[in-house]
Amino acid sequence: MKIFESHHLFNYPWEQVSAANWKKYPNEMSTQVVGVDILRREVDPVSKILRTERLITCEQSIPNWLSFIVGGLKRSYVREVSEVDPINKSVVMRSMNLTMNSLLQVYEVVTYTPDPSAPTARTKFTQEAQITAYASIKKLCNKVEEWGIDRFDFNAKRGKIGFESVLKNVSENWESVKGAVMEEIEVKVGVLDEVTEKVRHGVFKFD
Amino acid sequence: MGNIMSTSFAPECTEAKKKYDDCFNSWYTDKFLAGKSMQNECTELWYDYKACVDAALVKRGMVKMVDEARKDAPFETGGIPQDNSDATNEK
Repeated sequence: MKIFESHHLFNYPWEQVSAANWKKYPNEMSTQVVGVDILRREVDPVSKILRTERLITCEQSIPNWLSFIVGGLKRSYVREVSEVDPINKSVVMRSMNLTMNSLLQVYEVVTYTPDPSAPTARTKFTQEAQITAYASIKKLCNKVEEWGIDRFDFNAKRGKIGFESVLKNVSENWESVKGAVMEEIEVKVGVLDEVTEKVRHGVFKFD
Repeated sequence: MGNIMSTSFAPECTEAKKKYDDCFNSWYTDKFLAGKSMQNECTELWYDYKACVDAALVKRGMVKMVDEARKDAPFETGGIPQDNSDATNEK
């Protein structure tokens, strides 16, 4: 996990910064943000905190090696929950990517508070992000495992149907080929064990 | 502000979003920050916009993705991930 941090002072009072924050996108520097939607918004009657859930839509070209994995997916989504406390004057925004999160998880916390040395004139901005690659190796393993199971199930079903016809064929001249069939079955079981072993190996190698 | 339009992820909702956003931004500055009103006054515009967004999420098959994130980091607790302490406490 990598932690990214940044701090900044804005020469504007907190009220203005917090209001501008809602109008941050679109801006010419953040062209990757193509949409901002509000999913839920409530004011807590007791604490007076305004809580907002947003969906942020990004479009950004991704490196070739990554598009190889994710299949050229250009659009990504981020969910953000923010809290504005008008009494204590703070804005806290927490966000996490919704897409590609089995490969890379980005959890970001942004705060805006009045600068203690000039509380009516300046606003302190802090940004902290935890970036975890393969945050959820388990999710990826589950995917591989599911694929493995599906494929195994598919092969097993086909194998059974195939074997059914072999059996039908064979039973018609059972006596004559009894020995050969027993050999055939032993070979098939052996192959099956080998396949099972390989699937297991392939899956658990990720752990 | 507002000379460039902030768009919705679903183009069909951008118009409704703009109307709601304009209403919200005025309410935020004039009422909420001033402590004059804790009641969101843009209810009607909000419901129009929200209905559009909800339908768009369904249409684009995004509901499950959003719901899973909601389970991991609930709205009620400010979006703090359940399996993780806040970034500020992690160091």
